[in-house]
Amino acid sequence: MYHHTEFDRAFVVDRAQRFRDQVQRRISGALTEDEFRPLRLMNGVYLQLHAYMLRIAIPYGTISPDQMRQLAVIADRWDKGYGHFTTRQNIQFNWPKLVDIPDMLDALAEVGMHAIQTSGNTIRNVTADHFAGAAADEIADPRPYAELIRQWSTDHPEFQFLPRKFKIAVSGSPNDRAVVKSHDIGLRMVEKDGESGFEVSVGGGLGRTPLVGKVINEFVPVADLLPYLEAILSAYNSVGRRDNKYKARLKIAVQELGIDHIRELVDERFAEIRPKFDGTDQTILDQIAARFGQPTLVSGRSTADYDAAREADPIFRSWADTNLHAHKHADYAIVTVSLKKHGATPGDATFDQMRVLADLAERFGQGDLRISHEQNVVLPHIHKADLAALHAALREADLGTANLGLISDIIACPGLDYCALATARSIPIAQQIATRFDELKLEHEIGELKIKISGCINACGHHHVGHIGILGLDRAGVENYQVTLGGDGTETMSVGERAGPGFSKDEIIPAIERLVYGYLDVREDASETFLQAYRRLGPEPFKAALYPEKAAA
Amino acid sequence: MAQVVTIPTRPARIAALNDRYRHHAAIRVLRDALRDPELGRVAMVSSFGADSVALLHMIALVDRDTPVLFVDTQMLFPETLAYQQEVAAKLGLTDVRIIRATPAAIAAADPDGDLNQTNPDACCDLRKTVPLNKALQGFDSWITGRKRFQAASRADIDFFEEDPAGPRIKINPLAHWTAQDVADYIVNNNLPRHPLVSQGYPSIGCAPCTSPVQEGEDPRAGRWRGQQKTECGIHFVNGKLQRIQPAEAEPAEAETAAFEPVDGQPVIVRDSGFAADDFTGEILDLESDTNLDEANVNFREAELIRIAFPSFTDGRGFTIARRLRMAGYKGRLRAHGHVIADQFPMARRSGFDEVEIDADLARRQPWELWKRSSEVAPSYLTRLGRQA
Ligand code: SF4
Ligand code: SF4
Repeated sequence: MYHHTEFDRAFVVDRAQRFRDQVQRRISGALTEDEFRPLRLMNGVYLQLHAYMLRIAIPYGTISPDQMRQLAVIADRWDKGYGHFTTRQNIQFNWPKLVDIPDMLDALAEVGMHAIQTSGNTIRNVTADHFAGAAADEIADPRPYAELIRQWSTDHPEFQFLPRKFKIAVSGSPNDRAVVKSHDIGLRMVEKDGESGFEVSVGGGLGRTPLVGKVINEFVPVADLLPYLEAILSAYNSVGRRDNKYKARLKIAVQELGIDHIRELVDERFAEIRPKFDGTDQTILDQIAARFGQPTLVSGRSTADYDAAREADPIFRSWADTNLHAHKHADYAIVTVSLKKHGATPGDATFDQMRVLADLAERFGQGDLRISHEQNVVLPHIHKADLAALHAALREADLGTANLGLISDIIACPGLDYCALATARSIPIAQQIATRFDELKLEHEIGELKIKISGCINACGHHHVGHIGILGLDRAGVENYQVTLGGDGTETMSVGERAGPGFSKDEIIPAIERLVYGYLDVREDASETFLQAYRRLGPEPFKAALYPEKAAA
Repeated sequence: MAQVVTIPTRPARIAALNDRYRHHAAIRVLRDALRDPELGRVAMVSSFGADSVALLHMIALVDRDTPVLFVDTQMLFPETLAYQQEVAAKLGLTDVRIIRATPAAIAAADPDGDLNQTNPDACCDLRKTVPLNKALQGFDSWITGRKRFQAASRADIDFFEEDPAGPRIKINPLAHWTAQDVADYIVNNNLPRHPLVSQGYPSIGCAPCTSPVQEGEDPRAGRWRGQQKTECGIHFVNGKLQRIQPAEAEPAEAETAAFEPVDGQPVIVRDSGFAADDFTGEILDLESDTNLDEANVNFREAELIRIAFPSFTDGRGFTIARRLRMAGYKGRLRAHGHVIADQFPMARRSGFDEVEIDADLARRQPWELWKRSSEVAPSYLTRLGRQA
């Protein structure tokens, strides 16, 4: 947990006050809608299909029980009783009234939270590995660096009106759970001659033109991090395209001008900017690191109860098999709570569930809670002896779904149910797939399989990096779904390939079913995942399963 | 049927207040406290000392008409008296009340002005506690600038506590602040410092009882040096009542004369307000897509460089300005075009001196808005040691 300073608190309070003022001025007419738009966007307020939407940052996915409870209060008082966790470690409320938003921001400020820079053409919420500080495979906890970047980018006077939005992700582990190469800037912690630093890649992104980030610098020492980031942003602000919003991201500049040209430009700017940092940032970095309390991990407490519960209770065992990850301390586990109950909206949590999660984090998990970019909630430090009790409490709150990484653990964007840009619905498709495979009782047999669904070409559901990706389009007023195969959003990132013609909304579920049966037929054994089989065999057998008529003809 | 009404005791009310305000930031405590029925009529008490300006600034932002009680012991440094006037005028505080012991009381108890050497507690009683208690008669609660870090005796104060000297509640919005928080706040809001701070007085009281502090010493070590005394009477002692001499409030500074935009003529926005263009020399104009590395201009010589903002969403001008400043340009920098009030602090922090807008925009977004937006939030960048 990061403990906020008085400075952080004063800052968010001031911003909430300022936004209240801006809303007033919009209402009085001092601001035109055009002028109000970027201001509300800087404060996370979108205009959606049915209403305004408020997007709140959960920086690097870390949230305290008190903050979680405050989100519950907001969901209860100003929304319809639930909130939606997104793929970028934010939470969205889909039904606030504009006049209520200043009060919501005040309520957030009370617990040090805010919606600053969760939208608009600026540096967005910095994301990081949701297992940070707990994972067995970590080199260093990335969150102090993410917090340093958050502070530097917050209200940076030069970068509030960039060509387009700008995303930064940090990973402290070789297993890149933060998908850094799909961000404008991706930072991967590395060591060189005993010194810590970052491998920096630029120009990654999904969206209409999915591109994998390219390494611009193999090693930037920690002390140079902020000036180096500032150099990249300065260069981007100068050369990023402003004539076409679909070509305005850094990835297009990298593609059009070439990584070498961008590197040259960044190096020049870096030489200008480096002397302007007097080193105070490193002192602050140390203070930030100290403000992340370390969990107290006890050794010697027996884990026999855990083994006994596994033996006795098959439901518990199946949950433990899918929803636990290795902790750096052998007696502990990282628990992922699935927000993907079969048939429910992926990523939604009710205010009751938020309260239960806050309480359980305090009771069993040292008060530490995380939000993953896969729209689940993580309790990173649970002693194995507590797992059975935790699982029972989760089940009672309808949070015990055992499907992490399985076919029903689907990422889906809001789609046509909420989003003004959508061309098709995505949530109902996710619900139907999950329900269907639950009926077939095949989920655990299929094993790891990531389905990702977007409701339009903007790809917020990251369908390009789904093992199976589904893209909803509008064909002459009728919803039509395209399937991509073989995408991967981890450190072996690859962009999925389009399988063939699309399917209507009635055909898509049977098509996915055929595809999965096709995989079960061709895999070597139960240990070969869908992605591995695809990489071994290529697309043909999968296409044949999807389009049987063609294969027969 | 008769209803039983329990009136909560003061400790219970205070506990409830502390619980309810638990997560509040300082300024939020202030804002809410001023209208919390639980706290009634609220005054602020300020010594206009080394750190006071932070809390005074906040109260000015929240409500500059809040009564501010300033106790003049008549033993203060002349610098403190001058500073008190400067701060009150700059922040626009409208109700500063100067509180003094009556001449009769002083003539009776301390005719030679040496009581502070023989019996400092009695002196504090005479010059601070008694007059202040009297002045607080009309109030239910009072705001102090006390902070936990200041003294071991304050290590566990909270936002709200009982006033042992009377029936009132003390409000300590800065209870949880550190010395660094105060320093940050003062720097970031560009507030005037007490002139004695730079001479080694981190905590300033009366002249006879305060001496400078050496580097590394406790900041309050200079107060009542060599005596077993760490708190002055105001925060401790229960005094007897006497007459007070309320002083006239300081008159607020007159508002800047209104400026009327004229169609067809540019309006220049600076920290001091709207004005007509006073510049008559040659202007070097740069478009928002100017490539400084290739542009064939000798910008160093220019007296005034004007950078175009074709649309307020085009932020390239901010980077151009920053780069000119980094390259050592010292002349006047002006942002020109569609810049809105909310961008004023960004423009200033990126190195611009002023903004040029047209009369239309100036009417729609009057100076009041620019001023409010320039009362900027604290800057993370400054705090991180990024030089402009
Ligand atoms: S992918 Fe399209 S439909 Fe889905 S949230 Fe993004 S913009 Fe909206
Ligand atoms: S600080 Fe010293 S002079 Fe001032 S009132 Fe107290 S004892 Fe007297």
